[in-house]
Amino acid sequence: MKKKFHIPFVLMIVLLTTNAACTNPQSQQTQGPNLDHVHITMGYRPDIQFSPLYVTIDEGFAEQEGIEIEITHLPETEAVQLVGVDELQFAIVSGEQVLLARAQGLPIVYVMAWWQDYPVAVAAPKGSGIDTPSDFEGKRIGIPGLYGASYIGLQALLTSGNLTEDDVQLDVIGYTQVEALSQGLEEAVVVYANNEPIQLSKLGISVDLVRVADYVHLASNGLITNEKTLRENPDLVRRMVAAFRRGLVTTIDDPQHALEVSKGYVDGLDAADQNVQLGILETSIEFWKSENVGYSDKSAWENMQQVLLNMGLLGAPLDLNQAYTNEYVE
Amino acid sequence: MEPTKSIQAHQTSKKARELRQKWPLLMIPTAIIFALLLWESASRWSGLPAFILPSPATVFHRSVRAIQDGTLFRHTLATLIEVLGGLTLGMISAIILGYSLAKSRTVERFLSPYIVASQSIPIVAIAPLLVIWFGPGWLSKIMISALIVFFPILINTIVGIRSVPEDLRDLMRSLRATRWQVFSQLEVPAAMPVLLGGLKVGATLSVIGAVVGELVGASEGLGFLINIGRGVYDTTLVYTAVIALVALAMFLFSLVVLLERYLLAWQDTGNAKL
Repeated sequence: MKKKFHIPFVLMIVLLTTNAACTNPQSQQTQGPNLDHVHITMGYRPDIQFSPLYVTIDEGFAEQEGIEIEITHLPETEAVQLVGVDELQFAIVSGEQVLLARAQGLPIVYVMAWWQDYPVAVAAPKGSGIDTPSDFEGKRIGIPGLYGASYIGLQALLTSGNLTEDDVQLDVIGYTQVEALSQGLEEAVVVYANNEPIQLSKLGISVDLVRVADYVHLASNGLITNEKTLRENPDLVRRMVAAFRRGLVTTIDDPQHALEVSKGYVDGLDAADQNVQLGILETSIEFWKSENVGYSDKSAWENMQQVLLNMGLLGAPLDLNQAYTNEYVE
Repeated sequence: MEPTKSIQAHQTSKKARELRQKWPLLMIPTAIIFALLLWESASRWSGLPAFILPSPATVFHRSVRAIQDGTLFRHTLATLIEVLGGLTLGMISAIILGYSLAKSRTVERFLSPYIVASQSIPIVAIAPLLVIWFGPGWLSKIMISALIVFFPILINTIVGIRSVPEDLRDLMRSLRATRWQVFSQLEVPAAMPVLLGGLKVGATLSVIGAVVGELVGASEGLGFLINIGRGVYDTTLVYTAVIALVALAMFLFSLVVLLERYLLAWQDTGNAKL
């Protein structure tokens, strides 16, 4: 008799867990009066770099557009997948992720460019003679991983310097670039131009930067949604983009104010070195500035696609018009 | 009873006995088939797209491609080397330290706070530090693997050595056995079943250790392959690497089981089948 009990019991557990896993988290949220509750996911953790979104919420720009924003933090690839299956409606991800995901059938669309240029760079100690991509030849370069924005940025730089991966010694060091360069373990490291160089400077180490943005214009971080949301609720996307653009413009105009606002969203920010944090924000802002904030440049997408094709990460060109749109940046 | 009927009855009971003996062996493929059916059903009817939950057939085809182009073999070999390195290092250091702790309460009291404290640190948290200390190559992965293997083998070594009955020690002493003879002919054989139990746990944990290191920073290995698959949204490649990891862990576990059967052949092996 006992054996007969086991099978239905196990099936019941499986069904219950499957049901729980498939439940849309949005349906569990309580909505404010007349506000559309949306989840937006970005990065691993709260950070000063996300201040435009904090400003969007704090200044009431989202509420004025009838939106209540809930921020979650996830790795980029997981965020893209959750948006792809409509578990989340919005995420902040890098341009290459959009093309890589669409190539695998994920129906995501980039609706607003936040970063106008790719923030990846190669940092080397000042005076080390690494000033251009061609100087990388024969050098030992530390990189977080052979995937993601860092790897793609480095590949773009190598191509600019007429080099290939075989011309350099690549060490995969995880996110330990500051330690690796400060301890002299690597001759150069792949970094985010708005982050690690400022941390290194705080340690008294000056660096020369070879920025991807100075050699090739690539589609960078921006707001994505999915085709279902665009089809069924384009007005929500329009309002979200409008609110976020206002937050972005306000941050660009007044970084000090954005820093103060961010303290309410980033634990420990008020105790951190304010000059360093403001430095990170101001350097980031240089990548955000544009005559038409939020607008996506076609050439940036074409260049990104070419880099991915060269790397073999894309098997064939995609229809870029389906990958991004400027329709909502008005 | 007529002789023919007696022979028939004997043959029938023999067949039934053989079937009963083979039945447990049939459970393994049955469990695999059941899991595949469950997976296939989930991929068909859960409504989840293929980039979240691919079907077993899709993963199988991707695995075949990874085998044919040599990717899977190269990365599995890299992980296997790190795992064997970590398992060997962790096992040797755990056995030596475990024996010392088992024999000396003073040493145990002095070191146990550190050993227990070290186990409360999540390996994921210190893995990036180990990559900085030991470099981005295979050494840092071996160290992470050794660290994760160390504790279960250490504990089992202590338990095994202390489980040797005191009257047997007295018997060895009365026979004027040397320290080496007590160690090699009493303590080692007596502690072996418990020690091998620790090694079984350690063998599977060593795979986790190596992969944690590879996920933090590596240019080869199955953890690296998972990162690559995630990075390009090739979920079937992620599944392929995960299945290879499971196979690797099961292979190592089976090796320890075989070792156990060989080393404990003198015992009743009835308890040593898992």
